[in-house]
Amino acid sequence: MVKIEHLTKAYGNKLAVDDLSLEIKPGEIYGFIGHNGAGKTTTLKSVVGILKFDSGDIYIDGMSVKDDPLACKRKIAYIPDNPDLYEFMSGIKYLNFVADVYKVDGLKRNELIHKYADLFEITNDLGQPISAYSHGMKQKLAIISAWIHEPDIIIMDEPFVGLDPKASHLLKEMMREICDKGGAIFFSTHVLEVAEKLCDKVAIIKSGKLIRSGTMEDVKGDDSLEEVFLELEGE
Amino acid sequence: MVALLVKKQMTEIFRGYFYDQKKNKARSKVSIVLFILMFVGIMIGVLGGMFSYLAYSLCGGFAEAGMSWLYFFIMGMLSIALGTFGSVFNTFSGLYLSKDNDLLLSMPIPVSSILISRLVTVYLMGLMYSAVVIVPADIVYWIVVSASPAVIIGGILLTIQISLIVLIMSCVLGWCVAKVSLKLKNRSFVSVAVSLIFIGLYYFVYFKAQSVIESLLVNAALYGGTIEDKAYALTLFGKTGTGNVMAMLLVTLITVSVTAVTYYVLAKSFIGIVTSTGNVDRVAYRQKKLKMKNELGALFAKEMAKFTSSPNYMLNCGLGSLMLIAASVVMLVKGGNLIKAMNMMFGKDAQACICVFVIAGMCIILSMNNMVVPSVSLEGKNLWILKSLPVNMWNVLKSKLLVQLTVTGVPLIICDICVLLTVKTGVIEKLFIVLITILFMLLQAFGGLALGIMRPNFTWTNEIVPIKQSMNMFIEIFGSFVLTAGILVPFLLIRYGIGYKISVIVYLFIVAGVLLLADLLLYRWLRVKGTDKFAQL
Repeated sequence: MVKIEHLTKAYGNKLAVDDLSLEIKPGEIYGFIGHNGAGKTTTLKSVVGILKFDSGDIYIDGMSVKDDPLACKRKIAYIPDNPDLYEFMSGIKYLNFVADVYKVDGLKRNELIHKYADLFEITNDLGQPISAYSHGMKQKLAIISAWIHEPDIIIMDEPFVGLDPKASHLLKEMMREICDKGGAIFFSTHVLEVAEKLCDKVAIIKSGKLIRSGTMEDVKGDDSLEEVFLELEGE
Repeated sequence: MVALLVKKQMTEIFRGYFYDQKKNKARSKVSIVLFILMFVGIMIGVLGGMFSYLAYSLCGGFAEAGMSWLYFFIMGMLSIALGTFGSVFNTFSGLYLSKDNDLLLSMPIPVSSILISRLVTVYLMGLMYSAVVIVPADIVYWIVVSASPAVIIGGILLTIQISLIVLIMSCVLGWCVAKVSLKLKNRSFVSVAVSLIFIGLYYFVYFKAQSVIESLLVNAALYGGTIEDKAYALTLFGKTGTGNVMAMLLVTLITVSVTAVTYYVLAKSFIGIVTSTGNVDRVAYRQKKLKMKNELGALFAKEMAKFTSSPNYMLNCGLGSLMLIAASVVMLVKGGNLIKAMNMMFGKDAQACICVFVIAGMCIILSMNNMVVPSVSLEGKNLWILKSLPVNMWNVLKSKLLVQLTVTGVPLIICDICVLLTVKTGVIEKLFIVLITILFMLLQAFGGLALGIMRPNFTWTNEIVPIKQSMNMFIEIFGSFVLTAGILVPFLLIRYGIGYKISVIVYLFIVAGVLLLADLLLYRWLRVKGTDKFAQL
């Protein structure tokens, strides 16, 4: 579903991502881990078409992000590491805006908005301006906006930051549900325990280079993911 | 600590002078000097020159009549009016709405230092505008009347007192808006309404000032005596500039005391206001049918919501709409008098000149509407949303243009209709009035958006920076003024300078043609290169 081929991106003289290749197949939850500044966010932003990259290509269901970014974006939902949403809108107006952009049918958007808002327990707050939301509420709203157009692929940057334990648990269930329906999830995290329990596959990036990837068993063997990660980071 | 915070704020306000956002690097020393010279040239050369002329025309007469204090009183009042008008709309957001509130409050910085640093910024803005009036008034007095040490000290003291009075007035209005906005749901519109009342009063005073000054000149002794009898404090204010020691001491004492009280009131409520989320009751959302829009409609609604959510944005970038409506009323009510005055001034040429003057007047008003200019920078940290959604980038730009064209176009058409009903010219001339004002509006919108795309600033911590304090706004507003002059001045030069009686229809045809060409070129640039540049931001 997502194929990254020889992705390279530099900021000035600094190589942020260096010849990175990955493939995420239907039904997979793919974890992406690495130290701060390793190139995770740059990779994720390149996949969703926010950042232009220098070389290589990224394919979403066979379509190139370079050649047809709009078609690719229609299949993707993205949740950034910091949910900076339109604070001048109310929660419901923001969700309706996203639904308009993705052309979600009127009945369907009502159904999905209220389904997920109820699950995350923010239905009562949907009429409030986003500026009055806490960080966690904004994160929940960002998650709902990603789910309301029923995307095939969801790209998330540190999605569990700011969520309460109940919401984190709910998000994990929703991620699994998407993959069970044939979708795919690609997300970065620093919480290695979550990655270890949740992911089917994992990729470790260091200084822009992919240093290990594969199924969880291939990557960590008999050790814990934390031990493997720290060992690789020390090399 | 205060100096450090002030430096941070000044760096943000004047960042455009030192840093090229487009090239992502510091400007060369030459370009910094040129930018600063341009700014100083406009402030001192244009505004300062205007008020120097006014001061020169008043000073001698009042001094000869032994009423120098009245001269300083008049110039002081004008200085306070300009200073307050220049800084008052920034005060609310400048004091309370910075995005770094939480960051600064979490640091080991005394709250008083944060407040003082913000007050210093408000003070400097007020000082900048008020000095443009009072400093020329001081200098003219020193040249024309006296430059004794006492007079010089008095002049400097008066300048400082005025800047403090401006600070007090700005802070009081900012504080009132903050208090009101915490209690109300539609805080944006209430803030706008409060500010518009102030603008209304300002313009009332401004338009009355000319006749009041004339009347004061004729009846200086009578009015001066009345003020001395019934409002001695005001006399003291004027006497400060003349070097009267008692006046200097008393007015300084009063001004400093009121400043201290103002600071005390602000300090008491500052932390409460900046950390408040509002006292509006939280009403639970009830499910209702959601309206569906197409992509452009959704983007337009988003842009309009942004515009109407911010009093700063509406007041600083949308004042032209209200002025167009006001101009419509003026044309219907007083239009006949204006036409008569033009007829007297230009005689046989009046009919031709009226068209060009009316167009120039409307273009000046149109120059006040420029919400499209900061619209790109105002995306700020939310830019990721548009870039990650499957939206056509041209639609994003169109939505920004549409807000400007809707908010400006509707009152413009009303104004055009009122002008057409009032002005007695031929059908073709009337058609050109409508056509040229519409082409001018389009040029402003296209040019403003192009500026926004070419010189974006996404790193602001207070929205007032892209809205009011950016180089883009400066270029747009003064560019519009220059363009307006470019419509009016060549006509007068050809007709009265060279003496060639160019047909007004031919002239307006040329103007319309040039504007149309510029519109098409800018539209083409936005459609192709602008869209691509925006996508890559």
